[in-house]
Amino acid sequence: MSFLEYLSKRQDHLLELAIEHAQVVALSIAIATVIGLALGILVYQRPWWAQVVLGITGVFLTIPSLALFGVLIPFVGLGYKPTVIALVMYALLPIVRNTVTGLRGVEEAIIDSARGMGMGRWRRLLRVELPLAWPVVMAGVRVSTLILVGITAIAAVVNGPGLGEDIFSGLARIGGANALNLVLGGTLGVIALALLFDAFFAGVARLTTSKGLRP
Amino acid sequence: MSEPQAHPSKAGNGAEPMIRLEQLTKRFPRQPDYAVENLSMDIPAGEIVVLVGPSGCGKTTTMRLINRLIEPTSGTIILEGEDVTGVNADALRRRMGYVIQQIGLFPHVTIAGNIAIVPRMLGWKKKRITERVDELLELVGMDPDAYRDRYPKELSGGQRQRVGVARAMAADPPVILMDEPFSAIDPITRDRLQNEFLRLQAVIKKTIVFVTHDIDEAVKLGDRIAILRDKSKIAQYDTPEHVLTNPADAYVEDFVGAGAAIRRLNLSRVDEVEHADWPIVQLPAEPADVREALRGSGKGAALLLDEERRPFRWVDARDLDRPERLESGVGSPALPVVRSSTTLHTALNEMLKSGYGSVIVVDESGACQGVIDLETVLNAVHAMRAEALRHAAEFEQHELEEVGGS
Repeated sequence: MSFLEYLSKRQDHLLELAIEHAQVVALSIAIATVIGLALGILVYQRPWWAQVVLGITGVFLTIPSLALFGVLIPFVGLGYKPTVIALVMYALLPIVRNTVTGLRGVEEAIIDSARGMGMGRWRRLLRVELPLAWPVVMAGVRVSTLILVGITAIAAVVNGPGLGEDIFSGLARIGGANALNLVLGGTLGVIALALLFDAFFAGVARLTTSKGLRP
Repeated sequence: MSEPQAHPSKAGNGAEPMIRLEQLTKRFPRQPDYAVENLSMDIPAGEIVVLVGPSGCGKTTTMRLINRLIEPTSGTIILEGEDVTGVNADALRRRMGYVIQQIGLFPHVTIAGNIAIVPRMLGWKKKRITERVDELLELVGMDPDAYRDRYPKELSGGQRQRVGVARAMAADPPVILMDEPFSAIDPITRDRLQNEFLRLQAVIKKTIVFVTHDIDEAVKLGDRIAILRDKSKIAQYDTPEHVLTNPADAYVEDFVGAGAAIRRLNLSRVDEVEHADWPIVQLPAEPADVREALRGSGKGAALLLDEERRPFRWVDARDLDRPERLESGVGSPALPVVRSSTTLHTALNEMLKSGYGSVIVVDESGACQGVIDLETVLNAVHAMRAEALRHAAEFEQHELEEVGGS
């Protein structure tokens, strides 16, 4: 069976896997953005803590994904849970780091004039610092999303959802009938998802960034 | 009651000051020395008080102590008779406009949004805010319809500065603090903004504390200037006239610099001095009339005016010997001409370039008011000096009385 025949025959199945894949990425990114933003806000004015948090989230990113999924099994079992936990861990570094960079990059004069007008700590953060840091934060979210779309494929080893299922079953019987088609279908699906996600977040970033900040 | 502060730090008019600083001191952590030591001064309502001094003298720190962006180590800040040293700092800052050198407009917010920041925090109604924004934009010379919805990046440096001032005035605070607001702007725009600012102040009559390192700016803008030395100690606190003509000590003299006498001329306008006695003849007239006027004056030329009293020509004795009628334009052009609102400094400059060492003064309609020359300027300078000496003498007398009475 040629790849095109394979695609037309299995498109429902592939679409289903792709949707699962997208859902788990979206959920993990949402959680990671909330945690990452919070961590970034907590540490951006505390250099020592910033080092600690960036160090730890940096270490997360260096753990081989296959190993991390395996390590999580004894604690949370198989399936959705270890997948999301691992994905959140991988997504944190770019989001935290960009939040810290973005918030620290706000011009001193702007903060000073905000304080001088009587804006309190929280109002300053929400009305001035975060909106100004936002494009940088969003850039971090986009990077994390691309990383997650790829890593999610590997979650199939812990029975996680997504296109990894086809890739791994194809790899397991390489040489057999349709094995290559399975791998190819899953991989191309992952690439297509990555492109879609990136386009989506580019749109979100544009819509949520003030016109005054666009170049 | 004991009055520890020195006399020159007090406002002269005896009315309650808008701001009173009492023994204000700031020492930063892990710094051996005071940044501001024991500063006491009164800032009278409705005046521009300029804090001027070399960099590092603590003038910016002093200003930031007033709205408590820097909390004082000790001392008291009194605003409109109320001790505000311990009140909520954010609430205090909403009662004082604040303009800094880099202006610090919020780039992600429209011009209208920038101006509306403090009114919004104070909970104004939407309609009132919109009206106020338009009013302020007009006040600083910007068309509300054209600029309201733009972003700061779309404005020139001068326009941003105007918006910064409008933003500081938004909630109509009694006090505005300005930290070198014009120093990052090119000299020509700066001069224009300074003039606009003075015109604006004549209307709004705010109490303004203005920090600069530029003595020329201080002299131009200040109703009163405080020359600061190290640790924000007041070397002299007085009107610009007195600081220039009667510096309190060698430090002030040195800071004010060699050009003080010339600078002083910036503070007097042509209409404040007596005109010189130059022969002026209005047309229609005969050469004989002019000759007659010239003879008694001891001047080299006479000024001819046309029927509407506008300056027409300068004529000297030789011009009168020619056969042409006076109306035909004998002699030399009636230049230079200055308005009566011109400063003596500018008038002197014109004078030095002119043929007869004199300038013609006209009113708004262009009608001649008289002529001034070098002697006029010298007389004015003498009068200023005499006035300054009298002021100094009175001041010493007053101090003696105060010492004797306490």
